Amino acid sequence: MYPFGKGKARLIPYLYLSIPLLLYVVFGFGPSLVTVLFSFTDATGVRGQEWSFIGFDNYKTFFGASNAGDRMDAIGRSLYFAFAVVIIQNAVGLFMAILINKKLKGDKLYRAVFFLPVVLGVTVSGLIWQLVANPLGGPAQSLLNFFGTSSNFFGDYNIAFELIIFVQIWMYMGYSMTIFLAGLQSIPSDLYEAGYMDGASGWKAFTNITFPMIAPSFTVNMLLSIIGALQTFDIIYVLTGGKFNTTTLAFDVYATAFGTGTADYGLASAVAMIQFLFVFTISMVALFYLRRREVEA
Amino acid sequence: MKQSQTSRVVSYVIVLLMLALYVFPLFYLFNVSMKTQTEYLLDPVALTEGIRLENFSEAWNKGNFSQYMWNSVLYTGMSTLLTLILSVFAAFPLARRYVKFSTFIYIFFLISMYLPNPLIPQFSLINNLGLYNTQIGYILLKTTGTGIAFLMFVGYIKSISRELDEAAAMDGCGYTRYLFTILVPLMKPILATGIILTAIGVWNDIIGPTIYLSDPNYQPVTKGLFTFYGQYMNNWPLLACGILIVTLPLAILYVSLQRFIVGGAMAGAVKS
Repeated sequence: MYPFGKGKARLIPYLYLSIPLLLYVVFGFGPSLVTVLFSFTDATGVRGQEWSFIGFDNYKTFFGASNAGDRMDAIGRSLYFAFAVVIIQNAVGLFMAILINKKLKGDKLYRAVFFLPVVLGVTVSGLIWQLVANPLGGPAQSLLNFFGTSSNFFGDYNIAFELIIFVQIWMYMGYSMTIFLAGLQSIPSDLYEAGYMDGASGWKAFTNITFPMIAPSFTVNMLLSIIGALQTFDIIYVLTGGKFNTTTLAFDVYATAFGTGTADYGLASAVAMIQFLFVFTISMVALFYLRRREVEA
Repeated sequence: MKQSQTSRVVSYVIVLLMLALYVFPLFYLFNVSMKTQTEYLLDPVALTEGIRLENFSEAWNKGNFSQYMWNSVLYTGMSTLLTLILSVFAAFPLARRYVKFSTFIYIFFLISMYLPNPLIPQFSLINNLGLYNTQIGYILLKTTGTGIAFLMFVGYIKSISRELDEAAAMDGCGYTRYLFTILVPLMKPILATGIILTAIGVWNDIIGPTIYLSDPNYQPVTKGLFTFYGQYMNNWPLLACGILIVTLPLAILYVSLQRFIVGGAMAGAVKS
């Protein structure tokens, strides 16, 4: 029941709610739907130019044209990026959370430091690593020299993408860790004591007590990192600008629409749709399995 | 349950190694920022030979950071304020089901996470509305009542007793007055986290300004720093100062509000 009066007063919540709703429809939801529409047209960024429906031509271009190799590489790289980031970031995050949860001295400091890159943001974090990995005698280069080798780092076709993955994980490991810590700290300690009586300690306690108990934070972490990783491209923009074999689907959308001299909105929208299908499918499958695990636990 | 001495030592070693991976780049950044260009070129890794604070003023002037900083403060402040107000406007009636189709509207807001990337039509729209390269347009774009703050607020409002609404209404308090004089003060802790998380997101955005703000006079500090990087790619001491200039306000904010930031990140994640 609405307590704040009758008649006209009943409409005030609708009035206020309509502002965010309108903003969302106009700037978020609407444009999302138009992306679907655009993907079937030859729309461009050139003002006043006519556009028409061309069916699945953009999709055919994406999968079939001369640059198909590059595009398929981008798909492969997107998946590689997502899997590497999701697995390593969460594994390291969970491991660090367990260590810090052991009541080590200075735990608050560790948490704060590991979370810091999230606050500093992708531009600052990216440039800091550009500095450390400066091929002209930076500390990373000195380290390699010590082992008798060298590298161009972010300018190296063979490892630039792996380095981007590394920086991405470096940036968000603390975020995963923080969520895991919240889960760990909600486990009552008498559970472990009871488990200890039953002979469950060490690895056994982890698989039988810790892991089931943190199932919800596990779900949140997995989903956030899957969706995040498949949509991320600002880190690529900052570190290599998509050069040296580092484009992903998400970066392709941006580069095709806003890169120099392209402005092919139709094709870019088709790429966005393909990216959407990946994000949607993978996160739904993950959600299905993770939720089932939560229920069993 | 007792832990063995060795496992504790191993834990410390691992944590400290990891800590080094996070602290070393910052320390190195600071070291480079204190060097002269010659010093850097001769040996980038060596410790600086002196403290050179004048590097900072040089970077500040050459990088035009005062203009960029001001823009960032303007965008972050305005869109965070508006986002918060709109999030309360949306979260309260939906959490209480004071409007029809509450659940439906809530889900409608939630699915934004999964929808196809709206970037391209959004850009056309902004362009056609004449809002490209305008400060108002950018603030409008960064303002949303359906983001992480909204999600956190819905969860929090549910924990505030509904009887409070009824009691206030009985005393003749209207909807608007209730929102601003009773609800908002009650929401202080979650408002703080909402402000910080929203502000961090707006402040750190690099793609948004790249797409929507081509005029350097309107660009925020992230884009300014990136342009600066493009211009002085070979002068790392100057660049390091630029990076530190951008880092410092965030670091200070982080140290003073750390409790809210980390706690808020968790609340935001778990309640979505």
